[in-house]
Amino acid sequence: MTVKKRYLRVVHALFIVFLLIQLLPDKLPAETYAAYAIWFAAGVEVMTLTVSAFIKKPVSLNLFLDIVGFIYGLLTVWVLATAKFNAIKASLFPPPGKVFRQFILDYDKILVNIQSSIGIILQGYLLAIAAAVPLGLFLGWSARLGGAAAYISKFLGAIPPIVYIPYGIALLPTFRSVSVFVIFLATFWPVLGGTMSGVMNVEKKTIDSARVLNVNKFTMLFSIMLPASLQQIFIGCNQGLTVSFVLLTSAEMIGAQSGLGYYIKNYSDFGDYTRTIVGLIVVGIVIVVISFIFNRIQKFLLRWKT
Amino acid sequence: MSKIEIKNLTVDYIEKKKSFTALKNVSFSIEEGEFVSIIGSSGCGKSTLLSILEGINTPTKGEILIDGEPIRGTSADRGVVFQHYSLFPWMTARKNVAFGIKQVNKKASRADRLRIADEFLEKVGLEQFRNKYPSQLSGGMQQRVAIARALAMDTDILLMDEPFGAIDAKNRTALQELLLKLWEGDGTKTRKTVVFVTHDIDESILLSDKIVMMTANPGRVYREIPVPFDRPRDRARLVQTKEYTVFRNSLLAMFYNDIAEKIGGEEVVL
Repeated sequence: MTVKKRYLRVVHALFIVFLLIQLLPDKLPAETYAAYAIWFAAGVEVMTLTVSAFIKKPVSLNLFLDIVGFIYGLLTVWVLATAKFNAIKASLFPPPGKVFRQFILDYDKILVNIQSSIGIILQGYLLAIAAAVPLGLFLGWSARLGGAAAYISKFLGAIPPIVYIPYGIALLPTFRSVSVFVIFLATFWPVLGGTMSGVMNVEKKTIDSARVLNVNKFTMLFSIMLPASLQQIFIGCNQGLTVSFVLLTSAEMIGAQSGLGYYIKNYSDFGDYTRTIVGLIVVGIVIVVISFIFNRIQKFLLRWKT
Repeated sequence: MSKIEIKNLTVDYIEKKKSFTALKNVSFSIEEGEFVSIIGSSGCGKSTLLSILEGINTPTKGEILIDGEPIRGTSADRGVVFQHYSLFPWMTARKNVAFGIKQVNKKASRADRLRIADEFLEKVGLEQFRNKYPSQLSGGMQQRVAIARALAMDTDILLMDEPFGAIDAKNRTALQELLLKLWEGDGTKTRKTVVFVTHDIDESILLSDKIVMMTANPGRVYREIPVPFDRPRDRARLVQTKEYTVFRNSLLAMFYNDIAEKIGGEEVVL
C-alpha cells in the first residue's frame, strides 16, 4: 500500500471534525468535561495511526478504519446532542467527557466488577465444556449406533436455562454458586448437543481410516472424533458464551452485590446515569474482547481447515 | 501355508429391503511377499473384498485366513491406503505418519516416532512438506503421505484400495513407479504382501505378480493370471517389449470377453 492509501483517509477528517465541533459554545448548563472527550478521541487517533502503519491487507485496514469511523461518528452525534445543543434529557444522557472522566475515577471499582463477572463465567463455562465434551463424544459415538441419546439431549437442551434458577436458589447457598450452576447448564447443553452432532456427522471414511489403524476407544474418541467434530463443538461453545453473558448480567441486576450487571443496576437505581453508561460501555468492551480471544483460539485450533 | 487364504467368501447386503449379493463363493490365496492386483469393472465386489481384508466388513459366509488365523475385525498388522481420506486433516504430514507408527509400536518414544516418520517422508520425497496439513498438499502428495504411513508402520501386509484412482495421469505414473521401487527394495529384505485393487490394466501389469480378475452380478473371481515379467521392472523398457503387448492384449480380450458374456444373448440397444 502506498503512504497515501494508508494515511489519507476519511476517518482522520472525522477526527478533525470532532475537534472543530469542540469550538462551538456549550449549551449545557452543567460542566461538560470536554477535555476528557478530546483526550479520548486523541487517544483513539494515535492508536489508529499506529495500527494503520502495521496492517498489511487493504481489506483489514478498511474494516479497521470503518470501525474507528463509527466511533468518531457516534462521539460527534453524542457531543452535539448533549453538550452543544442540549437536545436530549441531560440527566439520562450525560455528555461524553463526563462519562470518560467517570470511567477514570471508577477505574478500580470497574476492574473489580469485571473480575467478579468474568470469574463466575469462566468457572461455569469451563466446567461445562470439560464435562460436556467428553460426554458428548461418548454419547455421540454410541448414538451413531443407537440414536436415543440425540433426542434426549435435544429435549433437555430446549429448556431455557433461566428456568433452572429456582432450583439453583433452593439447592445452593450463595449467589455465586447459583450463577455458576446456571451458566454451567446454559453452556452444557449446547456444547453437548454440538459435540454429539459433530461426532454423528464425522465422515465414515475418516472413521474407517482410524479403524484400520486399530486405534483403541480412547484414541478414537479423543484423537479422531474430537478434532473431527471441533467445528460443531465451537458452535455450541459460542452459543453457550452468548447465553452465559445474558444470564449473568441479568442475574447480577437482580440479586448480586458485585459484577457488571450489579454496577449498572445499582447506579441507575440512584439516578447516576453517567455511571450507568460507563457500565454499558464496559459490558460491550468486555464481550467484544472475549469474543475476539475466543475467535482467535477457534481459528488457531481449526487452522488445518481450508 | 499361504499368507492370505480367502475361502468361499459370500457377502449379502440388504438395501431397501432387497438383498443383493456383492460377493459369491470367492476363493483364492496369496503367498507371502506376493503383489496381487484385483481388477474388474465397477460392481464386481473388489472393494467389498478389500474391506473384509481390512476388517471393516464381515462376510455372510466363508472366511479369510491370515497365517492360518481367521480375521476378526481390524488389526494393526495390515497397513491400508484408501483412495481418499486416508489422512487425518488435523494432523500434519509428519504427525499423520507418526500417529500410524504409534498404533503399531506403542513402545517407541515420541522422538523415535518422529524420526521414523521423517525417514519415510524422505523416501516418498516429501521431507520439505512434513509440516504441511493434508489440505495444503495436492492429491498426489496426500497419497504419498498415506503410502509413507502404511510403509512406516512396517506391517507384513499392505492393502491398497484404488490408491491412485483419483490422481491425474502424469502423477499416477510417478506414484506407480515410486510404489514399485519402494516395494521391490534392494532385494535384501522380504517384500511385503500387497493386495492392490484397481481398474487400470496397465497399472496392474506393471506392479503385480498375479492379477485376479473379477466379474459382477454376483461378484466372483473370473480368472487368476500370473504376470510373467522379471523384477526389478522398468516401465519404459517393459512397455516396449513384444511380450508386454501380447500379454496386455490377452488381458484386455479377457476383460471384454467377460463384459460380452454378461450382455450375452440380450439385445444391446445403443
